[in-house]
Amino acid sequence: MGLQISNLCKDYATPVLRNLDLQVTAGEIHGVVGENGAGKSTLLKILSGLTLPGAGTVVLDGEPLLTKNPQAAHRAGISLCSQELSLIDNLNVAENIGLRALPGRLGLDKALLATRCRSLLSELQLDLLPGTMVGSLNLAERQMVELAKTLNVQARLLLLDEPTSALNDQQAQALHRVLRERAKSGASVLYVSHRLNDVLNLCDYVWVLRDGEVVHHAPSGQLTTAELIRHMSGADALTQRRKDESGRPGPIHLSVRNLLTEKMQQPVSLDCHRGEIFGLAGLMGAGRTELLDAIYGLVPHSSGSVVLCRGEERIALSSVNAAIRSGVGMVPENRASHGIFAGLAVAFNTTIAELGRIATRHLLKPRREKAAVEKLIQRLNIKSEGVDQPIEALSGGNQQKVILARWLHRECSLLLLDEPTRGVDVAAKLAIHDLLRELRDQGLCVVIASSELQELLTLCDRIAVMSSGQLVRTFDRDEFNQDTILAAAFSTHNSAQVA
Amino acid sequence: MSSMLLRWLNQYLVLISLLLILATFALAAENFLSFATFSAILNQLPALTLVTVGMTFVLICGGIDLSVGSVLALSSAVIGISVAAGFSIPVAALAGVTAGGLAGLVNGLLGSYLRLPVFIVTLGMLEAARGAAYLITDSQTVYIGSAIQGLVQPMSWLGLTPAFISALVIVVVAHFVLTSTVFGRHVIAVGTNPEAARISGIDPKRTLLVVLCLSGVLAGLAGLMNAAYLGSTDPNAGSGLELAAIAAAVIGGTSLMGGRGSIFSAFIGVLIIAVLQNGLAQIGVSEPFKRVVTGVVIVLAVVLDRWRADRSF
Repeated sequence: MGLQISNLCKDYATPVLRNLDLQVTAGEIHGVVGENGAGKSTLLKILSGLTLPGAGTVVLDGEPLLTKNPQAAHRAGISLCSQELSLIDNLNVAENIGLRALPGRLGLDKALLATRCRSLLSELQLDLLPGTMVGSLNLAERQMVELAKTLNVQARLLLLDEPTSALNDQQAQALHRVLRERAKSGASVLYVSHRLNDVLNLCDYVWVLRDGEVVHHAPSGQLTTAELIRHMSGADALTQRRKDESGRPGPIHLSVRNLLTEKMQQPVSLDCHRGEIFGLAGLMGAGRTELLDAIYGLVPHSSGSVVLCRGEERIALSSVNAAIRSGVGMVPENRASHGIFAGLAVAFNTTIAELGRIATRHLLKPRREKAAVEKLIQRLNIKSEGVDQPIEALSGGNQQKVILARWLHRECSLLLLDEPTRGVDVAAKLAIHDLLRELRDQGLCVVIASSELQELLTLCDRIAVMSSGQLVRTFDRDEFNQDTILAAAFSTHNSAQVA
Repeated sequence: MSSMLLRWLNQYLVLISLLLILATFALAAENFLSFATFSAILNQLPALTLVTVGMTFVLICGGIDLSVGSVLALSSAVIGISVAAGFSIPVAALAGVTAGGLAGLVNGLLGSYLRLPVFIVTLGMLEAARGAAYLITDSQTVYIGSAIQGLVQPMSWLGLTPAFISALVIVVVAHFVLTSTVFGRHVIAVGTNPEAARISGIDPKRTLLVVLCLSGVLAGLAGLMNAAYLGSTDPNAGSGLELAAIAAAVIGGTSLMGGRGSIFSAFIGVLIIAVLQNGLAQIGVSEPFKRVVTGVVIVLAVVLDRWRADRSF
């Protein structure tokens, strides 16, 4: 019983899956890891009926499975939580969760819907009202609602594609608990993730994919993250990076005093230095994104100040344009909706924030643009077929590199990054980390918000922890570790419970 | 080799369609391929061409301008009463174009800074500008006289009118602005992803404002062309022109979702519409049937464009 996949093939322009064999025993959770382009998402798409296989067979619980379309997959008891969220903004949380099987004959049974929804939300430890409109949720909450939607149906096979990319550790653990329960009651679970520690902790068995083939598989107890990375990349040299020593930070570059916007609950003050990577940690909804948006001027300040220090000069920032003019760059949280210009070339996407350098009196100079972009492609090792390739044809990691290249082209002195390695494969993630270190060493001030604690721990010189919209504490490198930061992240939650 | 051919076909799909349509009419109607036919077709075009250029900019920027036909009428009405009041033709023309620009400015201010949907704002302007055209002309046709018609007298050596040639120059300049200037990049960026544009330091509101003003100015110029063509101003002029302009832009591959489009291709879209109209008339097709064919061609163009987008990787 369970899932048996044999000789599965799929070609687009090039082969994506080549004779893939994979088995999941019913009642177990199996992890699938691999770099972007290894074929993980295609595998899930075939299983959930979003695309047809070229060849091969799939057997679920002893019956051959032919999923011509998503409806057929749904009837066969397959539930997919895909990487791209599919929520409907104008419906509330309960309606979104119940969308695949809304209760009620003639009218919608709202009471039953809300009851089901509440039990799911509490299972996932998600503090949301069923009647909240999905349009008003942040990315992490959306991902949780998407997961609740996936878990709402009685599935024989659960497919999860990067389910925790927007979640913090706490939230991810709540999900993992629910997944273990579902597995215990007989479901097969296929869990695709870049978070290797999560995969090793959660899964019973792990499959490593590379170039559309299974290159390694073993019970998770016999594996380490270093081994996984080695199998994924196929290179022995890639091992876990060492924590490198803290650089010597320069003068204060960004000075935030009592900053408050409509979306922030508490005024925030902080100082970041040149030559420093400054991390923002915190649970979901702690206010990291809101703070970065406020610093960048995307939302108007209701009080307080954001000041950029350049030598003796003090520049007060109050709008996006003021920030960009003064040398601030931003890599936004949601790459697809806020970062890339889809349909347009890599070159367009790279130079858009600073066209002055490739133009003479407003007239663009294509040759100058091509040269500048090619240089950046080489420097960041962006894998593309050339400067004219549409950006959406690139993998997630390479798209993110293009957005970083945009700010290198602009030459900024303060770089704000919101979840810069979400949904990015391991190799690209390490490359992005290396780039950020390099920029730090060149004297830039780098501020990075991430829900992945491990990332901040290895990368940052200092980490500020936010909790419930407040900045609770700032740690130096010799003070922070997983425990101190988590304790700080939860500090306001505990006191709230006491009160 | 065949992929090269396909890519080439993709790139010039609109132009090839135009040539195919021309070839069809050349076979179907005996006298179609003649100098007279072409100069007749081309000389009718300036107003639609100018309005389409403005519309294409607005569409690429992610908006839409439904008011262009009415703004054309308002502009030509202003020209008419200015001439009637004794102003010289150049002054009257300037007044008309200014009226168009002001209408565009109002569209832009309401649409971008008050954050009203551009569709609704320009729909309102469609009514308001038309009403204003009736009001200032007392719903009468105003005779201007032959002085303005110099614009539409074919120049002997070419058979083309100054009006058409200036429209052509504007097409070329607009194409250049869109593809080769910083402003053009901003328009495309805002139309593709306004939020990403804002984060990249582009002001989406200001860009949309400028583009809507531009559309107003071009509709004003189109009003001048129209007044010259008629030798008088008619407050009914240009009704339904906004749809013809959208159709031309779409036939030329402009996306109604913003971000994608080309001025040259939109101009070929104008030519396709005009050739269809004249060609069908020449082979004796009735007016209602002409409209059916035009409708089919518009939808067909989008189908072809979708097919092209799907294979261009």
